[in-house]
Parts: sequence; C-alpha cells; structure tokens
Amino acid sequence: MITWIEGGLLLFVVLTALMTAMLRDVLAAIIVFGGYSLGMAILWVVLQAPDVGLTEAAVGAGVMTVLFLVTIARTTRMTGLEVTTVDVNWSAAVLCVVFVFAVLATVPALPAVGAGPEANPAFGEVSSYYIENAYDDTHVENVVTAVLVAYRGFDTFGEATVVFAAGVAVLTVLRREVFE
Amino acid sequence: MIEDFLLRYNYVVFALLLGIGLYIVIDDENLVKKVIGLNIFQTGIFLFFITVAVRDGGSPAVTHGGEGTFVNPLPHVLILTAIVVGVSLTALALALVVRIHEEYGSIREDVVVEVLERD
Repeated sequence: MITWIEGGLLLFVVLTALMTAMLRDVLAAIIVFGGYSLGMAILWVVLQAPDVGLTEAAVGAGVMTVLFLVTIARTTRMTGLEVTTVDVNWSAAVLCVVFVFAVLATVPALPAVGAGPEANPAFGEVSSYYIENAYDDTHVENVVTAVLVAYRGFDTFGEATVVFAAGVAVLTVLRREVFE
Repeated sequence: MIEDFLLRYNYVVFALLLGIGLYIVIDDENLVKKVIGLNIFQTGIFLFFITVAVRDGGSPAVTHGGEGTFVNPLPHVLILTAIVVGVSLTALALALVVRIHEEYGSIREDVVVEVLERD
C-alpha cells in the first residue's frame, strides 16, 4: 500500500518535472531540476534502493547540476533570475498526452507494486541465486556490490569504457583546431 | 479498472515523467533544456526498473546467505550503470551545446536554424 512519504515524493517529482518544462529561464529550470534529482534520490531510498539513491544524489543532483551550470555560464548572458513560463505548443502537448495514454494502456498488465516472486516475473532464478550465494562466492555482504564488481564485472568494465569514450569525445569537441 | 492503476501508482508516475520529458525534448527551443528533458525521460525509466524490484516487506539485499525477504538486487545494478552512462551522455551533449554556441552564437534552436539558412 502507498505510504504518505512515498505519495508525497511522487507528487513532488511530477510537479518539479512540470515546473522544469514550463519555466522559460534556463537557470531557474536547472535549479528546479536539481530539486527534482534530489527528490528522486530520496524516492530511491524509500523504495529500498539505497545504492541507487547514493549514486543519484552524488551524480544526478551533484555532478549533473554543476555540468549544467558550467554550460550556461559559458553560453548565456545572465540578466538576473526572471520567472516566466513558456507558451504551450498545443500540437506537441497533444502528441505527448497520446504517448502517455499509450504507455498507461500497458500498465494494468504489469505486476502490482510490491508483488512477490509468485506474481512478479522480474524475480527470476538469477536474482535468488545472487542473494543466496553472493557472500560465499565473493565475501561481500552487499549483493548489489557483489553483482556490480564480481558477477557482472565485465559490464562495469564496459561502463568504464563508455565513460572514457565520453571523456575523450568531450575533449575532442571542445578543443580548438589550430592549423599552422 | 481504477483499482488496477491504484495498485500500480509508480507506473502511472513513470508514464507521466516520460510524457513530460518527451514534451521538453520536442518543443523547447533551448538546447540546454532539451538535455534536461532527456534526463527527465531517463529518470522515468529508472523509476520503472526500481519499482519492478520492490517487494512488500523487503529490505535492501545485504545478507550472509539469503535469510529473509529482500528486494531484487539485479535492477538496482542495471540502474547504477545507467546513471553513470547517463551522466557521460549529458556531459557530451552539453559539450556539443557549448561548441554550437561558439559556432552560431546561440543555444536556441530557432536562432541556429536562422543562421544556417542565412549562410
């Protein structure tokens, strides 16, 4: 059953997402988006995913906001914070509402929130194997850590490759070409 | 019908976040806000995965051998990876925005199109 804190957080993230969409000023939108990320981080903790919550708070709300602020510091002339809203483009809005209803049509087929293994296909053999054997196999108590760095360490290596490639690409894009 | 959605409240919010993110990506002329829209769309999908992992009375999977009720650790791992990849993607997108600003003098899509048409 839904708790007050969960319902409040869900309402908060939807409202901050809507505000981000409506605010014309980029700086205001970035600040509200930082609040949105923080709300999401707390929501992950409430949904029993503390590892994801920590990462979201440090990376989503922290690093991401800094990246956005650095970008607008380099590209936008600041004239003070003005709070005005964008004009709604109704054809795009109707398209998005149709999209939302198309996604909502699939929702009744999903398992109810909090359903156990008998009703939720996401709890497969693999998950229970990890929970039962993670400590014996890897001597790590946190199963999420064990899967991340041991069972699926190769995936994490791929992730590190993506981060490296993105870093190289950022440097390539931002560096000026000088022809002598 | 209504009860179906009340039991699946997180998925309703997931659909709403996808819609809001999509609207920003389609409609907003500001390129930085388009990147924000992309991120909102992405966190909507994260919400889907984390909700799939939830189990009534479950605690985070920290254990010595599987005694007790735990949430599913596997979607958590996938989303941890996805968050880091998402930040790399955001950094690259914002670097491109800075570069576009150097070339065309604006981060608004309509102004960039205007400059392209004039040349």
